Amino acid sequence: MRAADLTPVARDVMKRPAGLGFVFVSFAVAYLLCAMPWSGWLLLARPDFVLLALLFWTLHEPRMVGQGVAFALGLLMDVGDSMLLGEHALEYVLAVYLAQSLRVRILAFHLPEQTLHVAGILLLSSVVLVVLNLVLGADFPGFAFLLSPLLTAILWAPATWVLYHPAVRRRRTESHS
Amino acid sequence: MIHDPPPFFHRGPSPLARLTFFGLVAIGLMIADHRFQALEAVRLSISVLAQPAQRAASLPGEVVSRVSDYFANQDRLMRENQALKSQLLEQSAAAQQAKLLVKEQELLLGMAPGKSKYASEGMVAEVLYNARNPFIRKIVIDKGLTQGVRAGMPVIDGSGVVGQVTNVGTFTSEVTLLTEKGQSVPVMLVRNGVRAIISGSGKDGSLEVPFMPVSADIQNGDLFVTSGIDGTYPPGLVVAKVTTVEKNAAFVFARIVAKPAAGVDSNRYVMVLPTPPASPPAPEAKTEERKRATNPKGSRRESR
Repeated sequence: MRAADLTPVARDVMKRPAGLGFVFVSFAVAYLLCAMPWSGWLLLARPDFVLLALLFWTLHEPRMVGQGVAFALGLLMDVGDSMLLGEHALEYVLAVYLAQSLRVRILAFHLPEQTLHVAGILLLSSVVLVVLNLVLGADFPGFAFLLSPLLTAILWAPATWVLYHPAVRRRRTESHS
Repeated sequence: MIHDPPPFFHRGPSPLARLTFFGLVAIGLMIADHRFQALEAVRLSISVLAQPAQRAASLPGEVVSRVSDYFANQDRLMRENQALKSQLLEQSAAAQQAKLLVKEQELLLGMAPGKSKYASEGMVAEVLYNARNPFIRKIVIDKGLTQGVRAGMPVIDGSGVVGQVTNVGTFTSEVTLLTEKGQSVPVMLVRNGVRAIISGSGKDGSLEVPFMPVSADIQNGDLFVTSGIDGTYPPGLVVAKVTTVEKNAAFVFARIVAKPAAGVDSNRYVMVLPTPPASPPAPEAKTEERKRATNPKGSRRESR
């Protein structure tokens, strides 16, 4: 083992874990926000709250949330958004994979730099989704589709603020680490 | 990838292996859904799960619209009422005439009332929301399998055809709008009976009529109604009004653009019509031709 492995690179090592119930509630709220009747131009700009929550928990609770959860939530979104089964699933799994492999690096940064990393992941995954639809024969929806990942990325800091506070404040007697 | 854990912290397959697995499953699902429409049952069961969430999410908007309805301007309501009354008068005259015409036609053709080509009753459905997908044009209505909605039923509003039911859930169904790319309707010109096929252009509020020869007698402002030869739409429903006709001698076909008559994406209520009774079977084809002929039931979801 290298010596560098012994120093806590990730800041969240010292943080207390979030409960399963809290993670579930956050996904439910994210899904409800996505399922609101967005339409027209707003729909293209709709932030993907579910993907945001997924990335957050992938980074902060990697043992609880991973690609399996991403796949299941993707299928749920596919049905809700009346897309082909598997489109969102592929997008989410890819995004979560990128977050998993960059996890230690991303968590070493402060919020602004984290936002940039997350924006990159989100942009890449939404480009994948658009390319998939182009392959399936849809028309190019215009560059407004880039609004959605950018807005989602902007929400990274508020989401961290909202999701972290209850998780940090949670008093747990048993130490996890 | 970045750090290999010691073997005593076993974490299952590596992230890359998982990505490959889930990616392949997702692509397999897409192919199965797109090519074979094999996943209706899966979609149906997931939609039952997602249904309460869907309802809950649209609740705030509904509450807001109810409240604003409640405090609606008296004056506006009066005017609306007036307009509706005059519309009712106009249409009741037309409806009586239509009844007479149907009777007359039955008499002339010797048809029993049950065999009439014209749809008799429909089912009023409320539009829940536009499908949340920027790539397609669909709406979701609040009637499903339990209310007797079946895939393929035509959907109309007060002024014309809106689209066709393409996906049925337990309590909701998806209606593909006329303007969806590749959604086509066989139509007839009211003025001279020219038959054509009108199809969505994938843009909001415009339809196109492909493959009409330059010599075809089509003018600006002409009205297209369903011809009823497809066995899906009953004949005589208003579909669209021609807005542009470009005839260029350099091309074989004229470029004809039409505007849908119905408020395709701005309705609160629509009517789902039953599919007309099956037409008599097509005449016997030769054996080798029959083998090549496709199963008519298989073409239910021709779009997408």
